[in-house]
Amino acid sequence: MQQITKNFFRLFAITESFEVDLELLAEKYRELQVETHPDRFAAGSEQEKLHAVQLSSYLNEAYDTLRLPLKRAAYLLSLHDLDVKQVNQGELGMDLLMEQMQLREALEELPEDESALTELASLKWDVQEKLERRQQNFASYLDNGEFVAAKKLFHEMQFLNKLLKEIESGEEQRLGY
Amino acid sequence: MALLKISEPGGKPAAPAHRLAVGIDLGTTNSLVAARCGRGVEILPDSAGKHLLPSVVQYFKGKPPLVGAEAKLASLGNPANTIVSVKRLLGKSAAEIRASDRFGKYQLDASRDENAPAILTVAGTKDPVEVSADILRVLVKRAEECMRGELEGAVITVPAYFNDAQRQQTRDAARLAGLNVLRLLNEPTAAAVAYGLESKDQGNVIVFDLGGGTFDVSLLSLQKGVFEVLATGGDTSLGGDDFDYLLADWIASQAMPEKTLDARSHGELLHYANEVIHRLSEGEAVTLDSGNWTVSLDTPQFAELAKDLIARTINICRRVLRDAALPVAAIDNIILVGGATRMPVIRDAVADFFGKPPLTDIDPDRVVAIGAGIQADVLIGNKSADNFLLLDVNPLSLGIETMGELVEKIIPRNTTIPVSRAQEFTTFKDGQSAMILHVVQGERELVSDCRSLARFELRGIPPMVAGAAKIRVTFQVDADGLLSVNAEELSTGKSSEIQVKPSFGLDAGSIEQMLKASHEHAHNDMELRALKEAQLEATQLIDAIEAAKQVDSDLLDAADSARIATAMDELKLAMEKSGSNRIHELVEKLNRVSSDFAARRMDLRIGEALRGVSIDNVRHAGEATEQSTE
Repeated sequence: MQQITKNFFRLFAITESFEVDLELLAEKYRELQVETHPDRFAAGSEQEKLHAVQLSSYLNEAYDTLRLPLKRAAYLLSLHDLDVKQVNQGELGMDLLMEQMQLREALEELPEDESALTELASLKWDVQEKLERRQQNFASYLDNGEFVAAKKLFHEMQFLNKLLKEIESGEEQRLGY
Repeated sequence: MALLKISEPGGKPAAPAHRLAVGIDLGTTNSLVAARCGRGVEILPDSAGKHLLPSVVQYFKGKPPLVGAEAKLASLGNPANTIVSVKRLLGKSAAEIRASDRFGKYQLDASRDENAPAILTVAGTKDPVEVSADILRVLVKRAEECMRGELEGAVITVPAYFNDAQRQQTRDAARLAGLNVLRLLNEPTAAAVAYGLESKDQGNVIVFDLGGGTFDVSLLSLQKGVFEVLATGGDTSLGGDDFDYLLADWIASQAMPEKTLDARSHGELLHYANEVIHRLSEGEAVTLDSGNWTVSLDTPQFAELAKDLIARTINICRRVLRDAALPVAAIDNIILVGGATRMPVIRDAVADFFGKPPLTDIDPDRVVAIGAGIQADVLIGNKSADNFLLLDVNPLSLGIETMGELVEKIIPRNTTIPVSRAQEFTTFKDGQSAMILHVVQGERELVSDCRSLARFELRGIPPMVAGAAKIRVTFQVDADGLLSVNAEELSTGKSSEIQVKPSFGLDAGSIEQMLKASHEHAHNDMELRALKEAQLEATQLIDAIEAAKQVDSDLLDAADSARIATAMDELKLAMEKSGSNRIHELVEKLNRVSSDFAARRMDLRIGEALRGVSIDNVRHAGEATEQSTE
């Protein structure tokens, strides 16, 4: 059976777009959470507590989805019936794969100690910049209704995001966190 | 009582009887209880006027345990039967306890499971949960005497960095002590409440909480009464005690390098080291003297000695800032919590790192209990909450074991709670009817480097060919930071039965037994108390429903109305004539028949935006997002 989930953008009463005013979103989120959080029902019945935990979890999930760019992008595509879990061969171009490999090799060749931190920072900067550029393009593809192109870009963003995570965990390891 | 909580815009303000609720700081070294007395929230004293209850329990043969200062005095003379810092034992394995108990002070019960250790005393085997409950009982008694009434609920604080097992055991201890736990509240968050409510501040706050045995750092954003935790970090085995140990070891190695210390002289030395640190905190240089060895120690020298410990605390601050993606300059205030933050070496290090002096207006030993007391007062419904809300996070990533002993993260650390995430699994054998999920907590990639939480065994999967069954497992972390798991086979819609085997501590069954045993112990008292509690609960529920009917009678159709009226009459009768069990049953029943009414009222109040989001959708929301993140 098809589950109908309330549109997250409508939930927070903000415009459906990749460009999101994060401060406004946070404000709307807090307003709703003040009404639904289980703390409001701490002395309530079991049913009310359960209901509140579920509503509040739902709100957190919705907020996370719209707050984080990659999740937001995937969600927007899903609203246009594009499932980001289904990846077609053609969507991942050779140039992207090559770029990935180069970046990953650079990452792996770094020394294991703190001396790699400067290099990691510059690699991170580099990837972040690539990511931001794609996010801007993603937004305009979406605005123009070019969903297939947007989806291709999403997968590139996904790759870069994963790389960014790897760089960050590399930093954390070397910082002893 | 349920429906009372919903505010009635424009409705008559209910004339609420002041309901007694307390905040409890169950600390490693000292425990405190706080409640609203008149206008402010205060720490409640014992009959001698003392506020801090040392978290020390001494057991005797054939008489009740002694808790507090007297027990602490006895800890040197009778170490095996005097349990100190029991908080450090919560959620630990026997091997871990042995490793931290350097002098073999405690004798562990060999018949117990490795992961549910208990200590042998003259009063029998004592589980850390029971010892904690003994401390809580003293605080409850103190509160009830102070406030002349029965407690209806308590907020109990835990280190933000406590894992699921440690939280669960704290909750179990409270239940064992007969407490209704309104919320487990993270200690740094409680401290922020104690400060924040006074000043109505906006901005980012760091709470630096160095207790006796645990260290926590939380970064909160304060916005219009909402306290949102952005990131939290810590170390549950780093505390003020470690500074005592360090100094004691140093003194031993300097003054008597050839001597091997026994438990008793080490205990005395620790005591001495603690005193030296106190005097250093008051700004004096201390002359250490042990016969043929004399040395003068001042704060800079002590800082040098403790530099590794201090660096560990600052490194955790750094990581918290990184997790929240905020620079040091974005921090507006730093709150110090925990007696150990009185040490100038800590204050200086914190001020240095954040580039501004920390706030110390509220006594760092009391600030957590005061915050918990404020929150208890709000949760029980005495204080209008307005826009006041705490949004906390889960401190450690939750994941499950996958092929190759790797961890797949399901809920990353610093995710706002409550949270629910779903994941789909399938069978790998034809006709497979059961499946085991191993849930772990931690940041590392290998299962062996994370903390094992529990094994969930799913049974009753309908027989199908391999890969055909689709089992959706939903992980829910509630507002107390506690995990629950449920599973459903999607193609048949059958929910699978889940058996939980916690990796640490006792399973639910053993806890029930312990509860039962403690009830039987004081059977008559307990039954009387249980009856009074049941009657109170029933009265509150009936009052609430009657008040709700007056306001929202239009939400009630004739059939519902009749069902509620019948259930209510039955309950009223039982309140006069029956025992607590029967009253509980009927309270349950009344709750059940009025649940639709309650849900409709809640929907009405919960605002336009969320109306119509059914629980079913809520349950599936996690999955919708899950799909989109992969």
